[in-house]
Amino acid sequence: MSMRATLAFATLRRNPARTVLAVLGIAVAAALLLDMVMLATGMRESFRSLLLTRGYQLRVSPKGTLPFDSEATIDGATAIVTALRANPDIRAVSPGLGATLALPGTRFPSVFSLGLESDVQGDYVLEGGRDLPPPSDTTASAAAPLPAVVNRAFLLRSGLQLGDTLTVASGVDAQLRTTARARVVVLTGEGRFFYVPAETPVMALPLRDLRTLLGSAYRDRMSVAMAESRRGDSASVEAVRRWIAQTQPRVTAISTETAIRQVEERLSYFRQLAFVLGAISLGIGFLLVATLVTLSVNERRGEIAVLRAIGTQKGGVLRQVFLEGFMLSGTGIAGGLLLGLVTARWLNGILRDFPGLPAAFDFFLWSPEAAWKSLLLLLVSGTLAGLLPAWRAASIPIVRSLREDAVG
Amino acid sequence: MTHSTPAGSRGEVVIRCEQVQRSYRMGDALVQAVRGIDLEIARGEFAAITGPSGCGKSTLLHLLGAIDAPSSGRVLVNGRDTAQLGDTEATDFRLRHIGFVFQRFYLMPTLSAQENVELPLAEAGMDRRARRARAAELLGYVGLGDRRDHRPTQLSGGEQQRVAIARALANRPALVLADEPTGELDAATGERLLELFGQLHRDGTTLVFVTHDTVVANRAQRVIRLLDGRVSSDTRHGSA
Amino acid sequence: MTRRLLWTCTLVLAGGTALTATATSARAQGDTILSPSYGRRAPSVRGIAVDARMAEDFGLRPGSVVRLSGKPGIPGDSVAVAAVFERKADPAEVARREYRIRAHLDHLQQLLELDDRVDRFAVGVPDSVPIDSAVARINHVAFGFRAHQSAEVAVQSSRTFRVVERFHRAIGLITVVASAVFLLCLLLLSVEERRRDIAALRLMGISQATVVRAIVIEAALVSVIGSVIGAGIGWVASLIVNAHFQQVYRTPLLFALLTPEIFAFATLTSLVLGITAGAVAAWRLVRTPPLTLLGR
Repeated sequence: MSMRATLAFATLRRNPARTVLAVLGIAVAAALLLDMVMLATGMRESFRSLLLTRGYQLRVSPKGTLPFDSEATIDGATAIVTALRANPDIRAVSPGLGATLALPGTRFPSVFSLGLESDVQGDYVLEGGRDLPPPSDTTASAAAPLPAVVNRAFLLRSGLQLGDTLTVASGVDAQLRTTARARVVVLTGEGRFFYVPAETPVMALPLRDLRTLLGSAYRDRMSVAMAESRRGDSASVEAVRRWIAQTQPRVTAISTETAIRQVEERLSYFRQLAFVLGAISLGIGFLLVATLVTLSVNERRGEIAVLRAIGTQKGGVLRQVFLEGFMLSGTGIAGGLLLGLVTARWLNGILRDFPGLPAAFDFFLWSPEAAWKSLLLLLVSGTLAGLLPAWRAASIPIVRSLREDAVG
Repeated sequence: MTHSTPAGSRGEVVIRCEQVQRSYRMGDALVQAVRGIDLEIARGEFAAITGPSGCGKSTLLHLLGAIDAPSSGRVLVNGRDTAQLGDTEATDFRLRHIGFVFQRFYLMPTLSAQENVELPLAEAGMDRRARRARAAELLGYVGLGDRRDHRPTQLSGGEQQRVAIARALANRPALVLADEPTGELDAATGERLLELFGQLHRDGTTLVFVTHDTVVANRAQRVIRLLDGRVSSDTRHGSA
Repeated sequence: MTRRLLWTCTLVLAGGTALTATATSARAQGDTILSPSYGRRAPSVRGIAVDARMAEDFGLRPGSVVRLSGKPGIPGDSVAVAAVFERKADPAEVARREYRIRAHLDHLQQLLELDDRVDRFAVGVPDSVPIDSAVARINHVAFGFRAHQSAEVAVQSSRTFRVVERFHRAIGLITVVASAVFLLCLLLLSVEERRRDIAALRLMGISQATVVRAIVIEAALVSVIGSVIGAGIGWVASLIVNAHFQQVYRTPLLFALLTPEIFAFATLTSLVLGITAGAVAAWRLVRTPPLTLLGR
């Protein structure tokens, strides 16, 4: 270690209680800053990765709504999907229909159901068992149980296992306690659904079969369609979005970026809170280091005067005090990094309790670039906080300080 | 000799003061601490500056050491007018040509004896190995070879002052200035310190120290007495 | 005013549909412009109420005529805006940008082809009737629906708000801990800075207890004054926050509120911390011999 570092380290060790408290204060400030940066960037990045999980960059929903924002559905779904698939710039289209089906005779009265085409669906990944048959598979008889893929929450709450059958129904009349249509379903697979809250039981059925189950009104309906641009770059995606908007007036097409922007708008409160708290953390860290270094310099006026007297340049004193500020900030930030990750996990757990939040969504997401930038900012500001006291230290009048020290 | 003075012959003038004056403000009053002093100190000389409290002896010492600049007149150390030096040059001058010993030792309490002596060596750019060796050598010279790793709080007053002397000798200065070096020490310890000064002088160091104690002053080769900022007497009496 | 406690009967909804309000400004084609009084019906044009946000965005006001249909692509009915209403400050809805309208029940049923169906209806009981017994009696004869107390429903539907509340509490806890550390650190520093003064007092003969008491009182005063100033800053900040987010989200909801309880908590916390920090710092210094404090 250089002499300057030795002296700086020794100075900080001189008053361990004070140094520990200051480091703790900086650590808390760093943790808070890191958390706020993770919050500000996490929502956006988490949502973006959620939307792009299966590569679909566009969502098509009823006019004026976001996907599954309301119970509205799109009529004439087949024509729309056919038109989209006919576009050479579109690689794949996945239509989906959401509905609530009753479960007579089970532990819970209803389940959220998704009607999907298994060969193009982007809503779940199969984690066990067998997937739904593709739409082209028409070998199953009309009386055979419908295959269904469910999530873990469904299995836990129902107490059923893969291979079990149950009856699902629609058109429930609560007063007459009758259902209009019912069908036996066999649980063939377990899936992890991206856009459904983890605690919400969900069942995926072949789209064609769900429409039949819901009745004639839903014969040609869908809640949403996901589309994938062939080229994938943002310009191409935007071009496809514009084409859809022009050719399909009854729907709204939203790109991933637009969806992110709209969700960010809704969650702007958290981003702004993050910004404000982050700024306050930065300010507090700065103040703490500035105060500590200033007081430390004031206590050591005599020592500093002696350093100057025996031949230490002003720049040397400046660097010395700077180094103390840097060491203090650096140690605090290292601790703050660990503390910040722990508190982020805790806070994320709280916010993940939001009703209706997709299972794969996180509020606090580690983004190395953002995190290192923010911590570097705190390190720089903490070090700069020592600038004024360092300058004052370097400018200490030697004779007066020696005299004051002798008198004092 | 491990701390030999820079090349130059005994008798050559190291310090010359020409009509040096220094005044400063204390509140509303203008204090004239030094009033027109003419003085020469030769290489290898051992001089004491004495006088009653407030006579300007510490102020004069600070002027000789380029810590302070005269209000008028010239202070030439090794031929250089210290008043003409900017802050950076004066600091560098002190580092390489002047060694200071203070009444209150002024060691860095958080550093060991070895590290305290290394401070000016590090500032002068000496590499770690060389400065460690030099610091060890100097501490051995002042009789503290086995106390190198002790902090100042673990050393007695006399030992601390010895460390301060070793620090002052680090960069082989042309001149060692001491401000009341025995002021914080008991008589016996002070006596041992004066013996060390004597040894330094015999080894060729140019020494100027300030003291209010006439008995201590008489241990020097030359006694310059100040009164009200002026030299009232300047007596030489044989080698120490 | 009689105390009315509302409770809600919930029907199982046989398929909900979204209501599409097509707000196209139509020329008055012989339609009668309604008076602003909500509820009166002109012979040929039904009235609806629109929320203030929608009225502002589309330039609607009482008397404006719009078309209303239950399905997209269908012409629907001409209706007149009979009133503009302000939506209630519901935290669960604050981030949603949807518009709301209110229509006569029979009109909406007709548009949605729902015959005689409703989602729910609210029931008010006289003060003399206990709510629990009313709920029990209705559920006893209920056929296809269930009665709930409004308070229960409010609890269920306020989950979003409760999550936000928990999050705020967590952030509040972190900031209180951070503030505590800062306060301790700064008070310790400021007391230690006066080590020589303390040494001088001790050398003069002032007892340890007196010195500690003086420092603690000073720390307490600083804490209280700091709290009051901080509360003032917090109050101003809350005004700015509310003004900003009410404008962003177009809601009367209050986002930040400084209550007497919060002020008391903040003041008490900083007082306790300040006294603790002052006492600890002072005690550390008075235990040190005065000459050591002076550096001898």
